[in-house]
Amino acid sequence: MKDFYEQLIEHDLNPYLLFDSSGKVKSYNKEAEFLLNFVSIKELFQLAVSNASLNFGFNHKYISLKYNKQSYYAILVGYANDDEIALRLYKVVSNTTHTIKDDKLKLVNIFSLIDLSKNSTLLHSKLNINELYDISIPEIKININDFLLCLNECFSTFKEKQNISLQVYIKTGEYEIINQKKCKIVALEFISEENLSFDKSNEKNLETKALKSNANVFFDHNSIKLELPMIL
Amino acid sequence: MNKFIAKSESSKKLLNIAQMSSSLPVNILIIGPKGVGKKILAQNILPDASIFDAKTLEETLINKTANIEEFIEIIITNIEQVVNKKEFLERLSNIKVVATTTYLPQDIEASFAVKLDIPPLIERKEDLEELIKLYLKEAKEIYEIEIDSKDIDIDLSSNGVSLKKSIFKNSILKSLKDDDMDYSLEQFILNKLKKEYSYKDLLECFEIPLLKAAKKEYKSQLQMANKLQINRITLRKKIDQYSTQLED
Repeated sequence: MKDFYEQLIEHDLNPYLLFDSSGKVKSYNKEAEFLLNFVSIKELFQLAVSNASLNFGFNHKYISLKYNKQSYYAILVGYANDDEIALRLYKVVSNTTHTIKDDKLKLVNIFSLIDLSKNSTLLHSKLNINELYDISIPEIKININDFLLCLNECFSTFKEKQNISLQVYIKTGEYEIINQKKCKIVALEFISEENLSFDKSNEKNLETKALKSNANVFFDHNSIKLELPMIL
Repeated sequence: MNKFIAKSESSKKLLNIAQMSSSLPVNILIIGPKGVGKKILAQNILPDASIFDAKTLEETLINKTANIEEFIEIIITNIEQVVNKKEFLERLSNIKVVATTTYLPQDIEASFAVKLDIPPLIERKEDLEELIKLYLKEAKEIYEIEIDSKDIDIDLSSNGVSLKKSIFKNSILKSLKDDDMDYSLEQFILNKLKKEYSYKDLLECFEIPLLKAAKKEYKSQLQMANKLQINRITLRKKIDQYSTQLED
């Protein structure tokens, strides 16, 4: 019977992690393994500890969390002794399928668009860009106008900086289902040596532009990452 | 069609971006002060497109006096002067637009994926030299004179527009002969007489430039009186009379 419960947790769509008292992970399920690609163990342990009940037992908390593309609406923290604490996150799940209207998409070389946006946005800037491109990326279908506006916004963020690196690559092992077809994902990662002074309105603005160009945007203290499906 | 002068680094970059974006289905906005070559760059991007003044086009769209949808691509000048920019650009959503403006209005920023900011001529030394050469050559051919850039008071207040004007103005002055001068004066006086100028008013038109030129040439009032062969007291009176006009 014990095996059955373990199997149930293993196959759960929601991530589950069990920590020891020092914050090391003792066990986790498949979803948690995926989640750990985007968030540190330390951060999740802190989340569990800061939301644990005062006494032994279980505590539900409805909080809005977002790691990478996935949002969570609640967590469950439980502990029965001082040696172990468990954390379960509840996913916001939507069953809407992702469709993109094909009529405004045009087959284009993504590097030409990056070059165009870089040159026009940074015309009077002294920013030095270390370009690390995977040139094997083929021509893909993009809404050129909206994607350029999104790229312009990204480059503008780094206008006053000295150096950044721009990495363009195909993500391994990740796909998106677009118009019922499995598409690989192209990532464009702008990484600065310095921290970014990004406020919520900047984030919202870029998120809106990214969404219009069928891309997802992720922010870190010193980087911006755009991910868009490789529609061929 | 005139060619966009691209001798300076910034202009070369601009021309490169313009060429890259010319084949893409995106709108292009060219920003810059008067006379920097916005319209010429737009024509380099869309050589076969019709050119519209934004204000006139807005009126045309409102009054529906022309069918704009038959165009695939157009050039719009002075787009900053359009009153309802959002609605204006929505009506042109199926057309490739290359527009020019002297500044970037916030409400049209999102409609242009490519923005080209042309710096003033004073910041593009190599382009300025090339333009001076070009306009001088043109002026020499028209007025059949020998003129050098050193002979010209170059005016860059409106970039290429004022530059051309200053070169041509100086060239005209250099090309004038006595009989041209007589004819010009006659025409000048004729125009003034139509506005009922008196003898005294017209005399001012001669005396001020005469005194200015003499001041430049002879420096002191004593020399001026001697060379012009007029009484020093009369000269002083005249200088006092036009003191404000003679100051510079």
